[in-house]
Amino acid sequence: MSKNSSVKNRGMRGRTLLQSVAVWALVIAVSLIFAFPCVWLILSAFNAEGSLLTLDGFFPSAYSLDTYIKLFTEKVEHDYVRWFSNTLFVAAISCVISTVCVLLVSYTMSRYRFKSRKQMMKATLLLNIFPNFMNMTALFVIMTQFNLLNNLWGLILLYSSGATMGFLVQKGFFDTIPSSIYDAAILDGASDLRVFVSITLPLSKPMIVFTALTAFTWPWSDFMLPKMLLPDKSQWTVAIGLNWLDESQFSVFAAGSVFIAVPIVILYILLSGYLIQGSAAGAVKE
Amino acid sequence: MKKSGQEKNRLPYQVKLSCAFMGLGQLFCRQFGKGLLLMAVEIGFVLFLIFAGVENIVGIFTLGTKEAVPIMGIEGDNSVKMLAWGITTVFLCILFGLVYYANIRDAAYTAEEIRKGNRVRTFSESCRTLIYGKFYFLTLSVPILFVCVFNIMPIVFTALVAFTNYGGEIVPPKLVDWVGLANFGLIFTVSEYAVTIVKIFGWNLLWAVVATALNYFGGLGLALLYNAKCLRWKRFWRIFPVLAYAIPGFITLTGFRFLFSDGGPVVGMLREWGWISEQFTFIGFDSKWSLRLLGFFACAWISVPSVMFLATGILSNVNRDMYEAASLDGANAWQCFVHLTLPFVLFATMPVLLNSFIGNFNNFSIFYFLRPEVTYDTVNYFYANNTDLLINWIFNLTVDKKLYSLGSALSMVLFLFMAIVSLVVYMRSPSYRKEDTYK
Repeated sequence: MSKNSSVKNRGMRGRTLLQSVAVWALVIAVSLIFAFPCVWLILSAFNAEGSLLTLDGFFPSAYSLDTYIKLFTEKVEHDYVRWFSNTLFVAAISCVISTVCVLLVSYTMSRYRFKSRKQMMKATLLLNIFPNFMNMTALFVIMTQFNLLNNLWGLILLYSSGATMGFLVQKGFFDTIPSSIYDAAILDGASDLRVFVSITLPLSKPMIVFTALTAFTWPWSDFMLPKMLLPDKSQWTVAIGLNWLDESQFSVFAAGSVFIAVPIVILYILLSGYLIQGSAAGAVKE
Repeated sequence: MKKSGQEKNRLPYQVKLSCAFMGLGQLFCRQFGKGLLLMAVEIGFVLFLIFAGVENIVGIFTLGTKEAVPIMGIEGDNSVKMLAWGITTVFLCILFGLVYYANIRDAAYTAEEIRKGNRVRTFSESCRTLIYGKFYFLTLSVPILFVCVFNIMPIVFTALVAFTNYGGEIVPPKLVDWVGLANFGLIFTVSEYAVTIVKIFGWNLLWAVVATALNYFGGLGLALLYNAKCLRWKRFWRIFPVLAYAIPGFITLTGFRFLFSDGGPVVGMLREWGWISEQFTFIGFDSKWSLRLLGFFACAWISVPSVMFLATGILSNVNRDMYEAASLDGANAWQCFVHLTLPFVLFATMPVLLNSFIGNFNNFSIFYFLRPEVTYDTVNYFYANNTDLLINWIFNLTVDKKLYSLGSALSMVLFLFMAIVSLVVYMRSPSYRKEDTYK
């Protein structure tokens, strides 16, 4: 009896050992797949020569800081500083407007019952299927008529309205807040705005962080809309600028990418807890 | 029947006045502020119609009658501009109609209050009711305005362009005309379009299904992997997917393009080891499946982490008791996954799965960034390539070849297809039907 169980035990232990070896091997492999292109890009940015063809195998043969110096001092060929500040301007302002709009709309849609509410949600769903850049011609014509071509504010308006269309995720989150919490406050005579500010917002911190983060990253990393609406080089954002560089300027691309990616990577790593909670909260429905 | 007739006879004169002219009824209810404001709106709208509106609406139908002759200095009509302003005017008319309706409703309400002998609301009281009593009106009006201008209007414009001959040779200053369903007929009957659309649609469907499945199960698998009991330093390992998630897509894709390009390190290494022939390229003019596979890989690299986050969050909500009960009954890990984890996660993420499918179906950026130069496979396709999705083809037609009407017609077909698919799925999803479960 005891012998039998020890054999079984050993078998179990062997299996769990095998299992943990497999898990560790897989985790390390996955991490390598994700990390390798990043490491490659970062090291390429320090390449002493600019072209892609000068790489020795995967990595540069000589390292230097020249590319970074060139990145921030060059003004004629590629005005990276200008592109960067344009991107930051658009992303920061769209982030604020989008977050306010999305939170208000999703809260309203979740808490209030009014005429044509269901129709509005269905319409949103339909409109979301039609991405903005699918009607590039129309957007171009309309923005020209509004004098918003080559204008960063045109982009900001487009991002804000586009982000607002994605309110269904946040609505899913607000749906999970029980209405009994509100009833008490309304009995105490609190106004709607007051209820929203002092009850709903504190309860939905992860959702706010999630919303703001996604509202910031879209303009920060979008390519299509700026490509279409900013033909003038001085108004370019980093995305268009970097895409415009070719293989001979590969290390400039790499260095510029590092600068655009690092802030957002740090933000995401710091806030990854919120990210997990936020994306799950919006989706979980039973 | 008789009663309603009587009601009609008793329709208060204020309501009739408001029907006749906006704000008049309110004035006779002694609501001067509101009445004057509404009258100003109507006067403004009528002035707008007289000076521009009527002309704009006529413009939609004619799309311009006077063709420009630059040499003689004759400034003609710009059809495209006329179409855009015509749509704007129609939108304004609809908005005005809604305000007019609200005005009549308001007059009826106030008249009823007067009949009951109640005090009439002052202007500031009306404002307060709007803010506090109809909170949703306050929060939704500005976003709806935004959405109308920047989302709905472009779609209407595209939809209308699909019925014109705009594009190719016919761009302003030439006059554009309505051609009815000709563009749609062209797409499905002219053989070079029809062949291209069938080929691209097949590949597009395959792409969307495989990419969605890859992302979904990859993300789920990764979430389960990082949840394994024997794994330590979980927070550290999760940094890597976060890295992939956070890096902007255009950087990732352009990076991959450089990494796998002909002069890039991967191809060089594989050639050195003799694993591939000298002619083999990932990203070349005639590379088909190698580039498609690279596309799947890049898509997974970008999208798997986001599914992983979602699944991690959902898995933390799974009821642990279920697993204990199952293992007591002798279920192994695989059975637990198939019968407990998978149904739970699938159920919880149905809407996300749908969004992911639509996103992948219209995943423009993958092949746009991976294939650097616009090269067309002119033998088998009409201005497209063997890796292009429908959205890429539309882009080629509109931006590169300036065939606007054809591109718009294709957009509409694509839109119709996606709309039907997602409405059917959405209506059947539990999250739509049982929205109030938690309330």
